[in-house]
Order: sequence, then C-alpha cells, then structure tokens
Amino acid sequence: MDYRERFEIKDYRNERMLGGRIGLMHAGVIALLLFFSLNFWYLQVVRGDSYAALAENNRLRRVVLPPTRGVIRDRDGRVIASTRPSLNLVLTRESSRDVDIQLRRLAPILGLPYVELKERYNRMRGRPLFEPMVLKVDVSMDILARVESRREKFPSVEVRQIARRSYPEGAVVSHPLGYVGEVSFAQLTSDGEGPDLASGDIVGKAGVEKAQDERLRGERGVTFVSVNNLGRRIGEGRMGQPAVAGADLGVSVYLDLQRTLMEALGDEIGGAIFMDPWTGEILAMGSTPSYDPNDFADGISRQVWESIQGDPRRPMHNRAIASFYAPGSTFKVLVAIAGLESGAITPSERVYCNGSTRIYGSTRLCWKRGGHGWVDLRKALTQSCNVYFYKAGQKTGIEAIHKYGEMFNLGRTRGLDIPGEAGGILPSDAWKRRARGERWYPGDTISVSIGQGLLAVTPLQMATLMAGVGTKGSLPYPRLTARGGRPSSKVEVSESTFDLIHEALADVVTEGTARRAAVEGHTVAGKTGTAQVYKISAGIDADKMDKAQRDHAWFAGYAPADNPRIAFAVVVEHGGHGGTTAAPIARKVLKAFFAKERAGADLPVEDRADRGRPDRGRDGSYATSSR
Amino acid sequence: MRRLLDSLDTPTIFAVLSLGGLGILAIASSTLKQPGRDDLWKMQLIWILIAGIAAAVVILIDYHVWAGIGMVLHGVVVALLVVVLFYGREIGGNKSWLVFGPLRLQPSELAKWTTCLVVAAYLAHRHKETLRLREILELGVLVGVPMGLIVLQPDYGTALIFVPIFLAAIWMGGLRWKVITGVLVIGLGLAPVVWTQLEPYQQDRILTVFDQERDPSGVGYQVRQSKIAIGSGGLTGKGLFGGTQSQLNYLPAQHTDFILAVIAEELGFVGGAGVLGLFYFIMYRGFAAARTAQDRLGTYLCLLVVSWIAGQVAINVGMVLGLLPTIGVPLPLLSYGGSALVAVLCGIGLVVNVRTRRFVN
Repeated sequence: MDYRERFEIKDYRNERMLGGRIGLMHAGVIALLLFFSLNFWYLQVVRGDSYAALAENNRLRRVVLPPTRGVIRDRDGRVIASTRPSLNLVLTRESSRDVDIQLRRLAPILGLPYVELKERYNRMRGRPLFEPMVLKVDVSMDILARVESRREKFPSVEVRQIARRSYPEGAVVSHPLGYVGEVSFAQLTSDGEGPDLASGDIVGKAGVEKAQDERLRGERGVTFVSVNNLGRRIGEGRMGQPAVAGADLGVSVYLDLQRTLMEALGDEIGGAIFMDPWTGEILAMGSTPSYDPNDFADGISRQVWESIQGDPRRPMHNRAIASFYAPGSTFKVLVAIAGLESGAITPSERVYCNGSTRIYGSTRLCWKRGGHGWVDLRKALTQSCNVYFYKAGQKTGIEAIHKYGEMFNLGRTRGLDIPGEAGGILPSDAWKRRARGERWYPGDTISVSIGQGLLAVTPLQMATLMAGVGTKGSLPYPRLTARGGRPSSKVEVSESTFDLIHEALADVVTEGTARRAAVEGHTVAGKTGTAQVYKISAGIDADKMDKAQRDHAWFAGYAPADNPRIAFAVVVEHGGHGGTTAAPIARKVLKAFFAKERAGADLPVEDRADRGRPDRGRDGSYATSSR
Repeated sequence: MRRLLDSLDTPTIFAVLSLGGLGILAIASSTLKQPGRDDLWKMQLIWILIAGIAAAVVILIDYHVWAGIGMVLHGVVVALLVVVLFYGREIGGNKSWLVFGPLRLQPSELAKWTTCLVVAAYLAHRHKETLRLREILELGVLVGVPMGLIVLQPDYGTALIFVPIFLAAIWMGGLRWKVITGVLVIGLGLAPVVWTQLEPYQQDRILTVFDQERDPSGVGYQVRQSKIAIGSGGLTGKGLFGGTQSQLNYLPAQHTDFILAVIAEELGFVGGAGVLGLFYFIMYRGFAAARTAQDRLGTYLCLLVVSWIAGQVAINVGMVLGLLPTIGVPLPLLSYGGSALVAVLCGIGLVVNVRTRRFVN
C-alpha cells in the first residue's frame, strides 16, 4: 500500500480548481457532442431527401438499351440486312496496370501501330473510367484466339458483344438498301426529323434504311443498373422500359436478279432499273460503282470514308434514280406517240433519209452515214432513223411533245419510296423562258426530237415510261417497299398507237439496233439510245473515241413484248452505242428473270405462291416464307 | 476480488460492449460482400475478446501499480516506436505495424495508453496548483517523444490524438487563466495573418467547415460520399445491411475511418446520435469516476483517458461529417483494428479501475 501513501496528497484549493476544470471540460464535451448531433439532424432529417436522391443517383446508372433493328429481306425472303452480334475487343481502364506493356503486346496482334493505340488511349482521358477503350471492332476469331491464348498477359483486355448491322450481300444491294450510321448532329438538331432521336442512335442514312428508318429502328429501351463506386455494373437495378425491336421489312428486289445486274454492269459506270410494269415494284436497281454498306456499320474509318468521298466516280451516288442523262433515241418512242396522238404524223407516211437533212438553215446528221432510204414510222423506230424524227418532231411541235412527256412523267420525280430521286428536264417554251430567260427556238425542237438538247431524264423515269408503253397506258409508281403503294395512273393514248409502237419496239430487238438484247425463247421490246456527251460525236464511230468522250449508252424496254412482266432502263456512261453496251446488260438480267419465272412455275402448286409470285405478307413484307 | 466484482462498473461495460457490437455489425455490413474481406468481422470479434482480457488485466491490478511502472512501459513503447521505423511493415502508406507471425501490432495505439499513465503520474507527483513553464516543457517531452516518432511513420492521424491528451494535461495541471486567455487572444490576433499564408486549398478546407454547401466535391470525393451516405440514411436509416453507399463501396475506408457513416446510413439519425450518446455515457462515467477518485492520480488518469476518447471521437466524427479535413483517425471501439481496440479498452479499463477503487479501505 505504499503506492497509495506516495500519492495521498490532499490539497483543498487544488481539488477545488480541479473540480471547476472538470466541469468546464464536461460542458465542452457535451457542447461538442450536441453540435455533432445537430449536424446529423441537419444532414439526415432536414436535408435527408436530397441526399437520398443523391445516393440513388450514385447507385443507379441509366443505361440505354439500343433496339434491334429490323431485318430486311428480298422478295424471296432472303436476308439482305440484319443485325448480328459482333465482338469488340476493349481495354478496361478501371485498373490501368501496365497499360503500356499491354498495348505494346497488342499492337502486332491487332496489326495496328503502338503509337496509334497509345494516342487513342490518351484521348480517352476525361471520359468516365468505366467506359472502356475500344481496341478493335468486330474482331476475327483469329485475333481472339491469339489474345485468349495469352490471357495472363492482357489482364485489362475484355471482349464485349455488341449488335452490328450486317449486309451479307455487301456492295450488291447497297444502293436500294442504303446503310446505317450514328445519328448526325444536324439530324439531332433539326426539327423535322424523328422526335425521339438521341445522340448515339443508329439511323438509316440512305436508301430503304433511311426511308423506312422509323419502322426498322424500333424503340430505345432504358434500364437502371446498380453500379459500384467505380461505375462497374454489379447487378440489375430496376427495369425502366424494354427496348422494342424494329419491324422486319421486305423489299421488292429479287436478290438473284440484283446480283446478275451488278455482275452485268461490272466495271462499267452506270445505272439500271428493272421493275414490274403493272405494280411498279422494283425488281432490281443497280448503280456502279457501288460501295460496301458494311464499311459504315460501326463508325466508318476516316480512310475508307475519304476514299469513297474522294472517288471521282462517286460510288455513293445512285445513278439509277439520281443521275439524269439526255435520253437519246429512246426518246423517239415518246416523239412517235406524241406525233401519232396529235395527228401530226401517220404510220404510213414515209420520209427519205440520205444520211443528213437541212432544217432551219443547219445540217442535221443521221447516225447512219449512207442514210436509211425510204422509212416509215415503224422502220424509223426500228433503225432509229434521225432524219425521220427531225421531221416528225418539227411537225409535232414542242408543246405536244411536252404534253405527252408529262403524261409519262418524264423530267419529274414520281415519289419513289427511297430518298434521292432526281427530277430532270422536260422542256417547253414556258420552261425555257423561266429557266433560261430565252424563248423557244424551232431548232431546239429538232434536237429534242432525237432525245438530245435540253432534255434530262433518269433511268427510273425511262423505265417507268417503258412500263407505261408496255402495259398500254398504265403508268406505275415505282417503289421498293410494299407500303404506300399507289395504283398506276392512266395514260390517255389510243390502243392503235400503242399497237404500232409495240410492233416497232419488238422489231428493234429482232431486226433493229438492239439485237444483242434478244433472249432465246422470249420476246423483248425496247429502244436503244445514245446520249451525246460532245456535239462532235454524231457520226463518229464510238470505238475510235476516247472513253471519256464517248456517248452514254441507253437501252430501255420491256419483256415479253406481247404481255410485259418486266420493264427496264439501262444506262452505261460513256458506253458508246446503246445496242452494243447497254443491251447485253439488259439481256443478262432478262434471261435470269425468265429462268427464275420458269423455276417458279416448275414448283409444286402450293409452293408457287411463295416462290414464283410472292404475295405481300404481314407487316408489308414481300416474303411469307422465312428461312 | 469479490468486492472488485461487486463494484464493477456494469453500465460502462454495457455501453462499451454495445459500441463494440455495433462496430462488428457495421464492419460485417460493409465488408461481407467484398471478396477477401468477408471475415473481417470475425477478426474484430476475436480482437474484442483479446481486448476484453487485456482490459480485465488492467482492472485487476491497482492503478497505482500501473502508474508506478508507467515510465517503464512508456519506455518500452517508445523503443518499439523506434523499432517500427526501421523494421515496421508499411500498410496504407504508414510504417506503423510490427509483425510477429500472425500477430500485427501498432505500437502507436499502445503509446496513447502509456502516455496517459506517465502524464497522470507526473501531474499527481506535483504539489502545486499551477504549472510552470518547466513543467509544461517536461509534459511536452513525455507526450512529444511518442508523438514525434509517430509523425515520422508518418501517421498524422494517430499523432494528432496526442494533442488533446497534452491539452487536457496542462488544463488539469492548472495552466493559469491569464496564460490561456493570452494564448487565445494572440491566436485570434494572428489568425488573419496565418490565413493569408495558407494555400488556397487549405483555406477552402477551413471554409467548408463553416459552410456546408460549399463545393463539396472540390474538397474531396470521400467527404462528399460520406455525407451522401449519412444524409440518405434519414431518420431511421435503410436498415442494417441495406445501405447502398456502404454496400457498393462508395464510401472510402467504410469499415475503418468511415464506419460511422455506415451506421448513419443504415440506422439513420437514431443510429448516429445513438453512437454519440453511448460515447457521451462512457465519458460521463469517466468524469464521475474522476470526481469520486480516491486520489489525484485516479482523477488525472480518468480525465486523460476521457480527453483521449473525446479527442479521437471529435476528430473522427468531424471528418465523417465533412467538418474537418480527411485524416486517418479511426472511431474508438467501432472502427476495424485490433491494436486500437486493445488500447482503448485498456484505457477504459483504467477508468473502471479508478472507479472500483474509489473508496479508501
């Protein structure tokens, strides 16, 4: 007990001092703890709701669920555009251990320079950490295998699955189909576009993809996922609204016909349209050069974009509907109809062609130097005699030509259901005064009579005209999709006129300028044309000219000649004579068309409805059978 | 022995066990879902048992004996603090751990306890009621040597706890009022001068204390997340194991320094204020024990332990509430950590010891 003695000191004053100081200290502790309690009260009860909202905001991240874009099928139900899962190789950045080493090792595997990878990685700074860096989109199994086999060397590399638009046919159907891409800033800010577009949405940019975008796109969904402090998803939160998949769609194109057409066009530059003359449904729509819409599916690379945009041959341009050319001799069909209907010419009236004629003080040439001799209307069409039509046009006059041209919708759009359709020029006195500030000279009519001069029409318009001629007056509204189809308009032209034209156009293929378009076992009716690029070209042999100076070659018509089931127009730029370059292209497609018809007819009866002449199924799809 | 058991301070022990139990629940809630950390709460339970045994030893032996060997113990701990500087294990940036096989020891935590012992003994030895400068300096050495060594680790948070212990020592030792007022007046006078010398970010931290809405994210992600956790708890909380902020790792160091935010989120204002209330109860028992102690040694021991716990609670809660800058100071009895638990329970053991022996026999 000696400890106690050592410390047993009783000092009254000191005790009193201590007592007072203990009290003050006690009071200080109470004050401090009360202050803290008030702070808790303020944070939890007064501001509790707003902090609760902040906590929820912390925990739940809004994730947009992109809708699955609808599948597009051809007339036979074959998939020509679909959304398929694609694997992206990404680099997570949450724990950026040894990023440099990983990137260095990845560079040779991905075939990209390390410097580029590093630069892209650096550009990701400032983005949220949970957002990974995309190393390569749509990686091949080969690359995947090489990364996976050395998994331990790439701790930050992950494989993410995304939906990617895929066009199995590549460049073959790209012009009618179009392509998709991320919505542009301009599209987001303009009022006219769909109201519920958001940044990052994939939308159609051309063709059917653009025209039917709202149907195909579907509706974005939203979900809230629970995320941890690093933003990494750790579980489901609550479902906001599921994504609605876009509707599937059928287009009127026959894939095999389309393939044949694109093969036939080959390296030529040109455009072509094949359609059902009764319904206007486009069976094939070709434009060359073409482009591969897959290149656009996930953010086109700069190089590819520049090579496409910088190509002077303009691969993105749909020549079948958006390029206009002088129709050349194909226009003689219209001049003949206008002349006959207005009574300016008669079928039996004959004109002597000696290779040239002098009208209004200038010499006009026929394409055949020696001349055709005595020609009537039928022979003039079959042999494409210019001299006959100079005179016929002169008699008919521009106003009658213009009137019948309008009836056949030349020089105007006809409401095709994909964007990009061009108008053109169908001249008249009023038009020339308006557009050129000049009156119509009689000499202008002479050029127009043989399809040159102030005339500009698209292959689509020419094919439509041929459909109207082939069906004897039923002018269709061309279209690629079943929706919004309109019944053909009626062209008021007499039966006898059509009969005469039919005979002449059939002769063109059997004995006239388009013998190379003949399909064995089937009748084809058509008219060749040569659109002058330079005035000098008349009368000069096309083969002896520079390709760039050669005329554009036309061939337009319908088949079979007696009861047409297909109407068409083909233009080959700088192709020279229509009969030599354009007609064989049409022939290949027609041959494939008839072969396809026969194959359909050979099928058992119950299948024929599906294959031979597919009807529009539900959702406006052409195909009822899905494979 | 029997009398010892009879006069044992059951309410204090109950309060201590409540806080310890709450700590285990909060640790479990915030770490169960973390791979590799899912059995931390069991570790804490074991440490509470070990600390309980240590506290029992502290209670059993008369506090005069502890005071008598205090200087020896203090010397040993200071030696360990030197050793740890050379052979310590660095964890979380601080070289503060001594590792003996499976056992990990933080000498800095034990230093708080021995400092209380030697300071109380030093004050009790004196026969005066006022402090002279020489005595202040000697007290400064007793407190400053371990504190300085801890600063070298560098573990500023733990070192900071020695400040309230030292302040309590000179306060209880009888620092004259005119000195206290003088220091306060000079301090207030110098404040504007010091203010201009501070870096902008330091000024910002201080301003945040006075203005709760002031740029919370600028001061730090941790404080912001802590306040979100506390605030979102509301009056009654989201329920144990239901706190999203704590469960999803938004809270920094949620099982150590920010454990109170976990409790406040999951048990609400009731839980947060409840913890403060239990701490107050322990301190209240400390003050009572100080008043009824049989001698001044007992009084000083109790008050120093109370100042230690109060200081540590104040700094930790101030930090969790975003009133103080984020310093690594654990909440006594609740935060995960063995050495700290043992030290605090031994400290409270001293208070119980003094209370138990309040009657001179």
